[in-house]
Amino acid sequence: MSGFGGVLPWARRTLVEQDKVLSSEEFSAILGICQIVPGPNILNLAVCIGSRLCGAKGAFAAALGLTIGPICIVMLLAVLYQHYSNLESVQGLLRGISAVGVGLIASTGIKMLRDEFRYPVMLLVVVITVIAASYFHLGLGWVVLIVSPMALFLGFKKAHK
Amino acid sequence: MSLLLGLFLKLSAFSLIAFGGINALLPSLLNLSVYQEHWVDLQTFADYFAIAQAAPGPNFMTVTLIGWHIGGVLGALLATFAIAWPSSILVYYVQRLILGMSNEGKKKAIQYAAAALAIGLVLSSAWQIALQINHSYAAYGLTLLTICLTVFTRWHPLYLIALGAALGMMGLI
Repeated sequence: MSGFGGVLPWARRTLVEQDKVLSSEEFSAILGICQIVPGPNILNLAVCIGSRLCGAKGAFAAALGLTIGPICIVMLLAVLYQHYSNLESVQGLLRGISAVGVGLIASTGIKMLRDEFRYPVMLLVVVITVIAASYFHLGLGWVVLIVSPMALFLGFKKAHK
Repeated sequence: MSLLLGLFLKLSAFSLIAFGGINALLPSLLNLSVYQEHWVDLQTFADYFAIAQAAPGPNFMTVTLIGWHIGGVLGALLATFAIAWPSSILVYYVQRLILGMSNEGKKKAIQYAAAALAIGLVLSSAWQIALQINHSYAAYGLTLLTICLTVFTRWHPLYLIALGAALGMMGLI
């Protein structure tokens, strides 16, 4: 619920530093897995940690706990939006936020990109993905299908260099 | 009812290919909901994206809002569930598989491959979404400023969102 601007840092602080239910290494290992699996990352994390603590039931509870509050808030905002979206100041406000939002997404990608410079050949995968998706406008499924064999091949090389 | 079923099936399929999380998925979601199915218009999509960014909680709320637009509370819950269940089940089994994997090299290879794929998808997502929802030079400027500030400083994203909201309210964006 207090996950403004992403739930991740907050999750780490609570689970590792305060409640000590996971060690820092365990948290990183689980996070690594959740980031490679498709789908909402933070929800994947909730499922992984929940199942680590209490099996399938824990996974379900964690996912539900994470989503139910924010869903209620966002629906409340949607109702407000319906009533006030014709106001010029509200339209401007949303334009400003979405411009920032796009920037935040881009910087997530750029921050992750830094790690790739240690094995620059891997950047080829990034470049081809961007070209396939942005220039040729291929759907997400096609991009994943086309790029993943090469990514796996290079990933294998990187792991064994 | 068939509208909700279509929403459910399409979002469920997206869930399994969204490497890089919801951020990577946004252009496909925009394409599907604005240009193919005409569930919402482009402006509404952009506004929902903004609301989802500003609201607390996970970043898949854009999906929840589109569900809400189509089918009220039921639509919102259904859309959220659709985007969540396939990948949740996948990760539940994949984490056991990977944590149990004895071959360290194979584990690393998969991790590296998925990371590179995710970076490519997230970057192209930001690019495509920017082209769709930024309508002025000022908006592009704000996007670039956000990128610089998050890459070079440790500012909390919430401050940047507040900054964007303030600039927008003054009619500058």
